[in-house]
Amino acid sequence: MGDPVFNGGLDLGVLGIVAVKALIGFTFVMVGVIFMIWFERKIIADMQSRVGPDRAGKWGLLQTLADGIKLIFKEDLSPDRSDRLVYRLAPYLSVAPAFLTFTIVPIGGVFRGDDDGTLRVLGNDTFLQVADPPVGVLFLLAMSAVAVYGIMLAGWSSGSKYPLLGSVRASASMVSYEAALGLSVVAVVLLSGSLSTHEIVSSQAGSVLDWNIVRTGFVPFVVFLIAATAELNRPPFDLVEAEQEIVGGFHTEYSSIRFGMFFLAEFMNTITMSAIMVTLFLGGPDGPAPIGPPLLWSFFWFTIKLLAFLFLFVWLRAALPRFRYDQLMDLGWKQLIPLSLGWLLLLGAIQIGRDEGWNVVVVVLVGFGIAVVAAGGLLGAIRVADRRRDAFAEPLPNESAELTDAGVR
Amino acid sequence: MDDYLPLVVMFVLAVGFVLLSIASSKLLAPSRPTSAKDAPYESGIVPTRDNPERFPVTFYLVAMIFIVFDIEIIFLYPWAVIYRELGAFGLVEMLVFSVAVFVAFVYLISNGALDWGPLRRSRRLDGTLDGNRTSSSTIRRIPSRTQVEGEAAPPAAREEGASREAVAAGAAVGSTSEASTSTEVPV
Repeated sequence: MGDPVFNGGLDLGVLGIVAVKALIGFTFVMVGVIFMIWFERKIIADMQSRVGPDRAGKWGLLQTLADGIKLIFKEDLSPDRSDRLVYRLAPYLSVAPAFLTFTIVPIGGVFRGDDDGTLRVLGNDTFLQVADPPVGVLFLLAMSAVAVYGIMLAGWSSGSKYPLLGSVRASASMVSYEAALGLSVVAVVLLSGSLSTHEIVSSQAGSVLDWNIVRTGFVPFVVFLIAATAELNRPPFDLVEAEQEIVGGFHTEYSSIRFGMFFLAEFMNTITMSAIMVTLFLGGPDGPAPIGPPLLWSFFWFTIKLLAFLFLFVWLRAALPRFRYDQLMDLGWKQLIPLSLGWLLLLGAIQIGRDEGWNVVVVVLVGFGIAVVAAGGLLGAIRVADRRRDAFAEPLPNESAELTDAGVR
Repeated sequence: MDDYLPLVVMFVLAVGFVLLSIASSKLLAPSRPTSAKDAPYESGIVPTRDNPERFPVTFYLVAMIFIVFDIEIIFLYPWAVIYRELGAFGLVEMLVFSVAVFVAFVYLISNGALDWGPLRRSRRLDGTLDGNRTSSSTIRRIPSRTQVEGEAAPPAAREEGASREAVAAGAAVGSTSEASTSTEVPV
């Protein structure tokens, strides 16, 4: 259990490896963010028949860097009604979780055959991930919960109306989708039998059929994808910064590089969440290695899968209109949470049924029956709530048949 | 505990990065605050009211219902790791627990705890469902350019050499007598 680099105790070589790995992870995220912002602007531009950034560097590749330098030179304002300490603390709370979540992602390593994803460096075995805490998945959930604080406190401490509205929206929607996110990850833990991301990737090695996306039956993956999009506040769930309604949302009052930090954190989180999805559902760096060293292939497969998710997020932004707030809450609470909870219990029943020798068909049929009863109860509850609302809304004091008809004509 | 050392290193790197960026901006950027710059942003309007201190109770309800589900998820994780050792007993326990939480959830929904959006104020009106009101009867068509130039345009406008836009605008706004010959009669 855990990264074998620590098996022989701490010495200078081990500390060096830890420092180098942390630096590589840090650089990966930073370069990734610079690339991702350029990638998103370029792809969106293509989808809208524009050229996109093309001035700074070849194909505009250095545009993000130019923007960052520009932001550093801009005046930093803080509104006079703001809560100074919290206002300054919020960018740190936003950026730190984005970096920390990435540490648990294995970005390479050979897992097929006799290999278990270790690499021998300077006489020490080590995993190709910055950290492998035994509670990896819980750490992921904890960090996504801390990220809520960054956004919530930024809006609250600004002492202004639009940021406050944005942060209240953000905390409500992020909290709602965190439940669905957590429930869909339990299905992965159930099949892999461990909370450590390295163990989860090891358990998926082999072929595409061994990946968790297939073994958990696609539903947890879809739920995770939707919940992650909402968790990232990306379109179509970007009510937090709906420009038409609440200006810039929670970062309206932020300027200069402090605003840049929120911007960076948002894109870092996109990269990190994509990497987490690759790790949990698509086997991480797992993939065939036809020719050449398998280690290089593992980096290749990880990057390809990551890019596919990044493209998907950009595509969603270009293609879908924004959700209305009640639609957002209904999707999260009344559909995703019951669906992922039911699917998880069904998966558990099938697994235990296999151990105990139960008939799979009977297990699935019983599970289906329970699901129908539960869905009936849920739909009934929604109908009751709707009827109560209508009864509450209908008797308007000045609304009579003639009046409304006259109003239309 | 050694497994958490890289997390500490990464945390230091991340905080250092933010600190460095903000410090460099403090050194390089100008600082000329005015009262207008420091005022809360209100789309250019001078703020007249303070921030609301009270919010719709549904936001608090969401947070409280989330706690219920969060606790359920926390109990699910240990079960998911060791469910093979617990076997059928663990599954039944988990089912009973989930049913209890789910029934409470259904009760909350039926009480409207997760209802959002505006109340339905208006009912469907009978007058709007008239069979004679179709998309062709309620929309007035403006004559197309060829029709304007060929037949319906006022002769005066053509003699003065007015631009096509002016002719089209005239046909749409002013010269209803000629334009209405080629449009359908509005209801």
